[in-house]
Amino acid sequence: MAIPIEEAFSTIAARRRDELVITSAGTSSEVWWKTTGDTEQTFYLEASMSLSTLFAAGLAMSYPEARVWAFLGDGAFVMNTGMLFVERALALPNLVSIVIANRCYGSVGGVALPDAAEIDVAAVARAAGIAHVAEFRTMAALSQDFDAAFGAKEPTLIVLDAALPQKSYGSPPLDGPELKYRFGRALERRFGRTVLA
Amino acid sequence: MDEAKQKSGRSAGEVAAAIADILAGEGAELVASLPDGWIAPLIKHLGGDARFRHVPVNREESAVGLCSGAYFGGRMGVALMGASGFLTCIYAITKINYTYQIPLLFLITLRGLPGDTARYHVSNALYLKPVIDAIDLPMLTVERFDELPRIGEAYRHAQVLARPYVVGFTRDLLRGAR
Repeated sequence: MAIPIEEAFSTIAARRRDELVITSAGTSSEVWWKTTGDTEQTFYLEASMSLSTLFAAGLAMSYPEARVWAFLGDGAFVMNTGMLFVERALALPNLVSIVIANRCYGSVGGVALPDAAEIDVAAVARAAGIAHVAEFRTMAALSQDFDAAFGAKEPTLIVLDAALPQKSYGSPPLDGPELKYRFGRALERRFGRTVLA
Repeated sequence: MDEAKQKSGRSAGEVAAAIADILAGEGAELVASLPDGWIAPLIKHLGGDARFRHVPVNREESAVGLCSGAYFGGRMGVALMGASGFLTCIYAITKINYTYQIPLLFLITLRGLPGDTARYHVSNALYLKPVIDAIDLPMLTVERFDELPRIGEAYRHAQVLARPYVVGFTRDLLRGAR
């Protein structure tokens, strides 16, 4: 039985301290927005197409003092598994990738991934040399082992064996430039540097 | 002395060094790349230049993702790639850079122009410029060494426009022949 994504995100949001968050298309953007309503420490990269974790890596490189969480679906993961080698080479201890493994393209209503039943995201990540890989199949395990999984000081990939959302919650009501400026100005205030000239 | 150096008096390495100086002078730090044969010497040079953080990527779109995130650190990134690889980035450019108005400097090769004997680059000769024009992407072609300072103009203007800017290099320029 897969984890209800709404419950998983509620737990993750409740345990979040000051992490910067990058979401990807569909499920993670919609559910994270519904759960947090955050418009300053989260960048909703809905036009991501497998690039949310590399976007997050660029951010994590720029702010080694911050921790960065990047959500992506297993559809995005399958689309660009080669990103793991870039992320391994970057070896960013402050980057946590969180794969929502629902074995389908959630953003389009659940069309199945190719050979969906056999996809083992965690095994692929381990084989690619990601230092810290954790996998959660129950809410109890997520709650119990959250700190060890999300707080590791080494490149981390977490797999959530999650169900599709109960319904479509809709995209955050923010257009691209608004997201850019809200996120960028919040970074300027928090880190005391110029981001957006 | 190779043919190109005989012709211009300078080497591909000197061209690469000049480009590196221009980028560093503009404040560029992050360079992400995936090579084609023409631009590989420039990538090697930048990779060995301590003024830059060079990240080899697995495919060209990954450079777009990485540089776009790093932009929120306050410095615009530079993505180096061949013409063919650039054409694979159209989705990422229009979705990420256009949607969120994130600037980025692309340095690419102008494959398929006269002098390129590779028939598999005919597609670039036919479609590279029309595709760039079709998405209204600003582009600068650099053919001669004395035009290199315009790379700095492109770097600055990308930030004014809040969208990517493409600089295309000819083979002769990169070899040091012009």
